[in-house]
Amino acid sequence: MSALREFLLAFADDEHLMGQQHTEWIGVAPFLEEDLAFSSIGQDELGHAVLLYELALELDGAEATDAAVDALAYRADGYRSAALAEYVTTDWAEALVRHWIHDAAEHLRWTNVAASSHTPLASIVDRVEREERFHRLHADTLLDTLLATAEPRQRVTDALSRLAPMVPSILTSVAGEDELVTNGVIAQRTDELVPALAAAIEQRFSVDVSVAAPSPGREERSEPFVALMARMREVFDYDPEAVW
Amino acid sequence: MTVETYEVFLKKDGRDEFRHAGALDAASDEMALVMAREAYLRRAEGDLLWLVRRSNVISADREFVAPNADKPHRHHDGAAIAARRKAAREGDDA
Repeated sequence: MSALREFLLAFADDEHLMGQQHTEWIGVAPFLEEDLAFSSIGQDELGHAVLLYELALELDGAEATDAAVDALAYRADGYRSAALAEYVTTDWAEALVRHWIHDAAEHLRWTNVAASSHTPLASIVDRVEREERFHRLHADTLLDTLLATAEPRQRVTDALSRLAPMVPSILTSVAGEDELVTNGVIAQRTDELVPALAAAIEQRFSVDVSVAAPSPGREERSEPFVALMARMREVFDYDPEAVW
Repeated sequence: MTVETYEVFLKKDGRDEFRHAGALDAASDEMALVMAREAYLRRAEGDLLWLVRRSNVISADREFVAPNADKPHRHHDGAAIAARRKAAREGDDA
């Protein structure tokens, strides 16, 4: 079922790019404790990506070896990631706000497959959500403090307004999702989760983000993607024949 | 926003006691817990976690502690007696 494969890859690709970009804060986050926490959360997201890539390989009837997972995660064509996950930032406020938005969206996406008829997918939800609970606690605790003071609050809300146009992209459906709903693989179309995400954002930041703008789908990559993927593949591409 | 230093203590299940693992800075007790979890428990180093605000630690300086450093008669590890007995034994052998 190719719609399911697309669905798994889109979810995995988002997790992969977010995990990768979170871990890049190691050594440069604003304070040591956050430096460790943020990159640790990034590792969890990479773990979630691996689980989803493994499910895609299982559909293909392929063995989920490390090499097979890598081949999917670093594939040159057919990425299905969202503009929000592809966006590259060196601004800490943007990184933190995106982390919160991504986790809020992730919660909706995992809940959407918690009772999936595709049991291998439903069976990983508990484990993933156990980790996600702490990701949300981490981001919320930090934001509770930052939003309570004028200057940090301004920085956070400015970052949110820059990210807002990309928000719906994280919940863009893949082609064929109606079929997945009919078959009980997902409870509802991913793009139908957008209002819930917008409501969560408004509740958290007291800012109404207009998320009505339609997202162009998951076929096209946003501008930062090529450079981001090249950077992620940099060491590997240096010597593709090397044995790790 | 003020930041406090917290001392981190971890305990493994079983008979081990709480042990000092390190310290961290945080803006609130809640944040300190979140950060301690990532900084000191990433590899399941403990099953229980205590945080103590460093400002709540009652501490003594070196001058207060020093006069007790020079009292060998309070050390009862038996080393002095063992040395005397060994010397006596070796004397018998001679």
